[in-house]
Amino acid sequence: MENNKKEYMLCGVLAIIVIIMSILSPDRFLSLYNLQTMAFQLPEFGIIALGMMIVILTGGINLSITSGSALAGIMAAFILSGRVMVGASIGMSIALAIGVILVTSVLLGLLNGFVVAYIGVTPILVTLGSKTLYEGISMWLTKGGAISNFPEAYYWFGNESIIGIPVPMIIFIIIALITYVLLEKTPWGTRVYMVGSNPTAAVFSGINIKRVLMQVYVYSALMAGLAGVIMLSRYNSAKVDLGSSYLLQSVAAVVLGGTNIAGGSGKVFGTVIAVAILQVISSGLNILGVNRFIIDMITGAILIAVLTLNIISNRRESRRKSDETVLVAENRG
Amino acid sequence: MAEERFLQMEDLSKTYPGVKALDKINMEIRAGEVHALVGENGAGKSTLIKILAGAEIPDPGGRILIDGEPVSFAHPLEALRRRIAVTYQDLSLFPNLSVVENITISRKIEEGARHIDWREMRSTAQDALAKLDLDIDLTTRLSDLSLANQQLVAIARALVHDARLLILDEPTSSLSAEEVNALFRVISTLKAQGMSILFISHKLDEVFAISDRITVLRDGQHVGTYLREELDEEKLISLMVGRKIRFMQYEKRSVGKPLLEVKHLHKKGNFADISFTLHQGEILGLTGLVGAGRTEVAQAIFGRIIPDSGQIYLRGKEMKITSTTQAVQAGIAYIPESRQTQGLFLGKTLADNLSVTRLDSLANQFGIIRIDLLKDYVGKWIQRLSIRPPYPKMLIDQFSGGNQQKAILAKWLAYEPTVLIVDEPTNGIDVGAKSEIHQLLRELADQGIGIIMISSELPEVLAVCDRILVMRRGRVAAEFPKDDATQEKIMNAAILGGDARQDVS
Amino acid sequence: MKQLLRSKEAGILLIIVLLSLLITLKNPVFLTSSNLLDILKNNTVPGIVAMGMLLVIITGGIDVSVGAMTAAVTVIIGKYMVHAGGNLLTVFLLGCGSGAILGAINGFFVAKLDIPPIVVTLGTMSIINGGMLYYTGGSWITNIPKWFIDFGRIKLLGIPVQILFLVGAAVLTHWVLRYTLIGRGVFAVGGNPIAAVRAGFHKDKILLFLYSYLGFMVGLAAVVHTSIMRQVDPNAFFSFEMTVIAAVVLGGANVLGGEGSVFGTILGVMMLAVIQNGLILAWIPTYWQQIVVGAIILLAVSLDVMQNRRRQDQLTRIDVAGEAPFGG
Repeated sequence: MENNKKEYMLCGVLAIIVIIMSILSPDRFLSLYNLQTMAFQLPEFGIIALGMMIVILTGGINLSITSGSALAGIMAAFILSGRVMVGASIGMSIALAIGVILVTSVLLGLLNGFVVAYIGVTPILVTLGSKTLYEGISMWLTKGGAISNFPEAYYWFGNESIIGIPVPMIIFIIIALITYVLLEKTPWGTRVYMVGSNPTAAVFSGINIKRVLMQVYVYSALMAGLAGVIMLSRYNSAKVDLGSSYLLQSVAAVVLGGTNIAGGSGKVFGTVIAVAILQVISSGLNILGVNRFIIDMITGAILIAVLTLNIISNRRESRRKSDETVLVAENRG
Repeated sequence: MAEERFLQMEDLSKTYPGVKALDKINMEIRAGEVHALVGENGAGKSTLIKILAGAEIPDPGGRILIDGEPVSFAHPLEALRRRIAVTYQDLSLFPNLSVVENITISRKIEEGARHIDWREMRSTAQDALAKLDLDIDLTTRLSDLSLANQQLVAIARALVHDARLLILDEPTSSLSAEEVNALFRVISTLKAQGMSILFISHKLDEVFAISDRITVLRDGQHVGTYLREELDEEKLISLMVGRKIRFMQYEKRSVGKPLLEVKHLHKKGNFADISFTLHQGEILGLTGLVGAGRTEVAQAIFGRIIPDSGQIYLRGKEMKITSTTQAVQAGIAYIPESRQTQGLFLGKTLADNLSVTRLDSLANQFGIIRIDLLKDYVGKWIQRLSIRPPYPKMLIDQFSGGNQQKAILAKWLAYEPTVLIVDEPTNGIDVGAKSEIHQLLRELADQGIGIIMISSELPEVLAVCDRILVMRRGRVAAEFPKDDATQEKIMNAAILGGDARQDVS
Repeated sequence: MKQLLRSKEAGILLIIVLLSLLITLKNPVFLTSSNLLDILKNNTVPGIVAMGMLLVIITGGIDVSVGAMTAAVTVIIGKYMVHAGGNLLTVFLLGCGSGAILGAINGFFVAKLDIPPIVVTLGTMSIINGGMLYYTGGSWITNIPKWFIDFGRIKLLGIPVQILFLVGAAVLTHWVLRYTLIGRGVFAVGGNPIAAVRAGFHKDKILLFLYSYLGFMVGLAAVVHTSIMRQVDPNAFFSFEMTVIAAVVLGGANVLGGEGSVFGTILGVMMLAVIQNGLILAWIPTYWQQIVVGAIILLAVSLDVMQNRRRQDQLTRIDVAGEAPFGG
């Protein structure tokens, strides 16, 4: 039976980690300042993780996701910093910048989606290639430097709060809800899961898997772009490695959140909780004075440990499945 | 004939979750005999082979003895060391490697070699090919060879192991008559040298032509082992089929207007000059040996294989289908042969598997799937096809083969197709479920759907179909109306080619 | 197919020659022996690692942790030489040994636990990088002993010693792939994993071996790198894995497994080297290299896949009666 056991377990893990952190550092971890910092940091990571998740659901991976954020962000930064479109009003240039981010993201997603879906190249290679390509273009645009000095009004997206809730958090909540509804409540989302579960059966069920894959990569790139909107505002600058640390972390969050790395299953809620877990761990350790590099190591170790546990616990089940496959072969012979 | 006992199996069983594939098999293979292993699909032949080859481990309690000494194989290598070599039906060769390596590599592993001596390997391979009277360039990449030659390479590989027991799993399925004769000459030579051969085939004429003794398996059980002289084809078939329930025989119905017309469909390396008409309310059987091109024709109609030439008309209108999505939109449904790899979404629920073709109709005006509609829909189809157990949220993996197949059928029935193609729809499911599926197909035909039923199981074809096409080597070899068809006539056409349409080769 | 592979390599060679001509027209310095030797020397490091990566890619795997591993080994041998002294032999042993151990860790997770290689190596990349940067704090190791620097200056018949190591790695890898059973096992696993097990190969041992072999090459490359740079920069290998994977893929290896050659991989390395050098000589900013490489990867693999699909489509499934004989 399908159930939400994984998600409850993750909530439990999150609660335990929060308690441990609170005990280890009661005055600082539970301080309003830290909670707010986390609430401002988490959304960009969370949005990227959702973009990674939808690709992993189809059995792929998007290694170009953060490079896409950076490239779209850099394009927008040119407008925000007034380097192009000089003389546009502030409101105008902000609207335009966001428009540019979204359009650029869609184009980048179309490129990945086209090569994966219509040409049929493995996603790892496609996105490694496009990662290199995007980084090259970003480097070319920025000449290796950072683009900064955005209009003050743009700070709003990443740094302001509405009735005490950070704006980026609101954006994240809205996006997570939309993704949840799209994936888990619509025919389209069901098809995404089906393509990931068994692409051949999906083809034989009349699903246009090329179109579904194409849309998935566009959605993923769109998430990267929206994360870019927040990151630009929070860092007040754009450069080639904008958000690059989220690449690995997003894969870790998706896997930790219970999404099958081979595709076919995974819940938006699981990914969101996993993002929170990783965020609490890294913020908490940071407050405890643990070195940033050690936190990187821990993230990598969590990724491998979670998969190892998953695989060991799934071994029995998968062994059963492979036996059934043997049986099918038997029946055909 | 040598009477020396060479290999014995005692109480050999193999259980997969929910299925007993082999049930206490006791049989022996003598030195220097050709021993045929026959049985219907799912009788347990492949499982037995895999156990002998070390690819599957039998249930505890059973034993294998070689020269009276108990052996157990945990890895294929251990079977090879005991001089048991197999050519699998899927050949198990390396498409990216040369002929030399495909023939000799497993020998090298068995010898525990660390280095590759290409010159020695070439001469070993050359010798093996010479034994088979075969002239293939040793440096050719395997994937550049014809299937027949690949088959012979697989046999050559078994030869270099100095096998005492050579297991041939359906070795003739892609060979021409001359090639089969050549293979039989080789088998005779090997036998004269004292090698035992376990020969698996569903072509009974071949079984009688080559074997000394015949073992019959049925539903995982050992029915008996007989001298060839003790049996004739009729007797053998009755042993294979046993006291099985005869399928309910359906009357031939009057059929409607032409629905699907296929004209001179051709795809190089798949099929040639395929023409037939499917009528409204008709079940058209498409039969022939495995590898005759039936599935390929079906997939061409379904847009999965793009034919080189020829036309397909649906209700008199020509269709140019280049994708399965287009085929489905045109009202053509196809239920593929392999349930597990092509039909089911494993790891997903029964409800998911049932609703995949009708998702859009279950959503409200905002595009959100309505849980109430979904529930009604799934409940309706579970009930209509009496899928057991009736739990929509149970993973499809946990259902029996018959119920899985019903789920696949249901998702297409819900789609209300014009033409339904079913490829081996009752493969590997129990008799009761088979009858239910036959009944369903008949009901659908009565509603006016045109059905093409691909099946190797002749009693089933004869029971259910209104008309039967027999394919052989990529062509339609014969056509029989229901009243005129018998198992013998169909087998004749499938093996030798029909009198209706002459074989050109 | 062998001919096709050959023609694939011939195609790469042709592109390299054309590029070289173009660059020479723009800047004749390119075609001087000192520049060519320089190019070779500066690409020995990705070249050596690509030899190991080739094996991984032939089995259909991938390793994105090679950048982190190479950096880690340079730090290990750098610290060792600075603090313990040692000699050439111990440096090589330590470098190759620690590399092989790091590789074996990847191999363990891939072979024994069946975790997809991309995820395993993403994880180890993060762990190794984090550990190394924590340990060094990102600071350079500069006081490399003179005897090691002298070693890096050795030339035999005018050829820098580093190039000889690349040649050695290439010859060794070719030998492993062509003349050892485990090397053929690499191709067998890449071509048909089920058949490989049935033929008696131990798939997990092969996987463990080749990830360790890649680690060994990483170690060797780290020593060679240090002998060229004469210092250790923990951040020098940022996105190095991309270069290596690109070289192997451009060299004609099929990421779905089963195909690849040492000669092709060397050509892939050379192609990237010529592009990089050409851009420098033509005074085109180096970030263009990334754009060009990214575009080439996308194009090359796309063409490869399309070609494969055409072959697949024309594949003979059924020996159709009356159809002209084929194959053989």
